[in-house]
Amino acid sequence: MKAKNFKSYWEKFGTLAIFIVMWGVFAILAPGSFATSGNFVQIITQSATIMLLACGEFFAILLGGIDLSIGSVAAFTGMITAKLMVEGGMNPFLAVLLGAVLGGALCGFINGTLINLTGVHPFIITLGTQSVFRALTLIISNAQATFGMPKIFTQIFGGLWNGIPMAVVIALIVALICWFVTTKLTFGRNLYVMGGNRDAAWFSGINVKQHLLMVHTISGLCAGICGAVMAARLGAAEPNTATGAETEAIAAAIIGGTSFFGGKGKVPNVIVGALILGLISNGLNMCSVPTFYQNLATGLLLIAAVSLDQAVSRKK
Amino acid sequence: METLVEMKDIRKEFPGVVALDQVSFDVKAGEVHLLLGENGAGKSTLMKILSGIYTPTSGRIVMGGQEYAALTPKKSKELGISIIYQELSVVNELSIAENMFVGKLPTKKLFSVLPIVDRAAYEKKAEEAARRVGLKKPVSTLVGDLSISEKQMVEIAKALVENSKLLVMDEPTSSLTEEETRNLQNIIRELRAEGIGIVYISHKMKELREIGDRVTILKDGRTVATKEMTEIHSEQEIISMMVGRELQSTFFGKEDVDYKPENIIFKAENIKRKDGKTRDVSFELYRGEVLGVAGLVGAGRTELMNAIFAGESYESGRVWLDGREVKIGTPYTSIKNGIAMITENRRETGIFPNFGIKENLVLVNRLLKSGWGGFYGMIHEKQDEKVAEKEREEMQVKCASLSQLITELSGGNQQKVIVGKWLAANARVLIFDEPTKGIDIGTKTEMYKIMRSLAEQGVGVIMISSEMPELLGICDRIMVMNQGVKKGILDKAEVTEELILQTATM
Ligand SMILES: Nc1ncnc2c1ncn2[C@@H]1O[C@H](COP(=O)(O)OP(=O)(O)OP(=O)(O)O)[C@@H](O)[C@H]1O
Ligand SMILES: [Mg+2]
Repeated sequence: MKAKNFKSYWEKFGTLAIFIVMWGVFAILAPGSFATSGNFVQIITQSATIMLLACGEFFAILLGGIDLSIGSVAAFTGMITAKLMVEGGMNPFLAVLLGAVLGGALCGFINGTLINLTGVHPFIITLGTQSVFRALTLIISNAQATFGMPKIFTQIFGGLWNGIPMAVVIALIVALICWFVTTKLTFGRNLYVMGGNRDAAWFSGINVKQHLLMVHTISGLCAGICGAVMAARLGAAEPNTATGAETEAIAAAIIGGTSFFGGKGKVPNVIVGALILGLISNGLNMCSVPTFYQNLATGLLLIAAVSLDQAVSRKK
Repeated sequence: METLVEMKDIRKEFPGVVALDQVSFDVKAGEVHLLLGENGAGKSTLMKILSGIYTPTSGRIVMGGQEYAALTPKKSKELGISIIYQELSVVNELSIAENMFVGKLPTKKLFSVLPIVDRAAYEKKAEEAARRVGLKKPVSTLVGDLSISEKQMVEIAKALVENSKLLVMDEPTSSLTEEETRNLQNIIRELRAEGIGIVYISHKMKELREIGDRVTILKDGRTVATKEMTEIHSEQEIISMMVGRELQSTFFGKEDVDYKPENIIFKAENIKRKDGKTRDVSFELYRGEVLGVAGLVGAGRTELMNAIFAGESYESGRVWLDGREVKIGTPYTSIKNGIAMITENRRETGIFPNFGIKENLVLVNRLLKSGWGGFYGMIHEKQDEKVAEKEREEMQVKCASLSQLITELSGGNQQKVIVGKWLAANARVLIFDEPTKGIDIGTKTEMYKIMRSLAEQGVGVIMISSEMPELLGICDRIMVMNQGVKKGILDKAEVTEELILQTATM
């Protein structure tokens, strides 16, 4: 009985426990500077874009797949949005709607369609489109950053709202919607079902292809929103922005307890996973540890978290 | 006879359940020891302790003059124990031959130093084993391309190439036809003559008397009795020990079906598959009847129904439901139209291992209530719970709670959950593909009752089955198929086992 309880608690709160422990460790290592409320906001702010990407990535991993193109999609959509405003003189809201929201969704839709048509694993398809979208970004931008976006855009998507960065507000709203979709709608539950046993899901009446298409569209959509937020925060659309960001998004989802085999995971834990990544880099900065050690720490933590998860769930 | 293995006072606890309590069990060389009991009695658990998958909470295992508190899978192999598990464990991506030699591929030395896989050697051995169990396909065929009964034969052949001293078969015949079953029994007799000890688990009463030497009966994790088969005088005796009460005859009075055109609920015309596995099959289903579908391996029964229900490899043909033509599409459209199908392969197309019993039970029902191709709809936990509770009761699923993981249930109880899931689809036509596979005799009777009462309520019931007694027992008409074509439809008045076989091979 006890073993079972521990297991279910671990599944619910394991990620949060890791977060709290790491918090405690840094609070001791860097007293004074780390454990302040200002720094807490700082950590959330640093993690906001990863949260956005991780939300989308979560959907892809939930099906037992993956989306490697989200970093490129974010750069691509950020660039399009900026171009629409700067060169096309488009109203910023319309530009975000067309460039980031629709543009991102369309990129994801293309991923999903390719996966469905070819039957090739998402890893390969999105590895391909990762290059394609990055290349398109470089082509349309001529490898130059785009500056001079309207103030209203940078303020709304990159500024502060009552002292809280808008990036954080947007990330939390997106996370909330994702949480609602995955827990309250049949669509969301169907994804867990598909992740658990795809053939059985098909025979039980779930339109697996349409669901997969929707999942990649959502993943692209989140990346698109992230692209707009990044451009607004930087005040510029950089063609090489978010390179490799997908690996961080994957790490956040996995540290958050999402099963790589599909069918298991929770949005709130993924958000905490993203926070843990932010916390590590922030904490190590506070302790004046060089960046390359930070990568070391993130890598080791990823392996440790997943191993621990395995050890717990394998208990018989 | 020499005792091969002795398990003494075995106890096994799972969180919240005692699966085995004070069970003692032994196997002698050259005997077939039957292990019987209801679903969830603890048979598979006992055998998994023998194969080292589970560690007993307490108890001892004596084998080869040594005493063990627990075995590991490796140790168990070394001692010469091999097991055919209840759930198929073949790898779809490997060939038949490779599957038989997973983890034990023979090697030869290249340039007398570098050990490489000796393909010729294992293919030859695999070939022998495959022929022995009656597999007709070349051993280089991918297992993914095989039917479920052929997969089962691969599983058996896999155990045969191990040259073990003790062979455990956990429901080896649950997806075999009668002919294949007889073939397996011959193999078992040969092995017994070679001095190999065999443990045989099955819910098919008919097979037992023919091959058993001794029988042990478990009930709720305790031993009821161990007896010589010569001491047992009737099937009833075994059944009442298993169930704990007398059981009424498993046969049912049938309806008087009125075969007039107005009474046709469902009609299929010239169903043809692209892969040729069914060709131009037509049949009608009348109100109030249970239509059986019989055939040998490769008859194309599952393939026919898959084409109708899931549009799998569908080329041409039409279907009508209640006089209205419906388009053959996906499982989703079929379910929405009122056609449901319980698929036969539990592990591959039945259960969702990441979910509890409740989710596994309500899935189809929930999908039915949702719109937009299954996308739109809210989760109603309360409503789901009601549906799940109703089906759990109807199917008598033995579980600790509805939130228990389905993978923690015994094989038969998993099957009951799957059937329950489809009963909750409230279908107009319900296709059962080997529905009683692995289900104990008490629940089988209940399931037949459910099928008959569905038919009485006007639901069209089709049952594919390889078990002659149940086909003869509850069907009003039996369609016989062979090699993808319909060979005839037999009426309950005339049908006998011989006639079915005759019709099939005509
Ligand atoms: N991994 C597990 N975790 C929890 N409970 C389990 C687990 N495996 C088996 N059980 C429980 O142990 C009991 C015995 O199960 P077992 O699989 O041995 O039954 P069985 O006799 O083989 O039944 P069947 O005829 O249905 O195959 C059941 O109540 C089952 O729910
Ligand atoms: Mg069993």
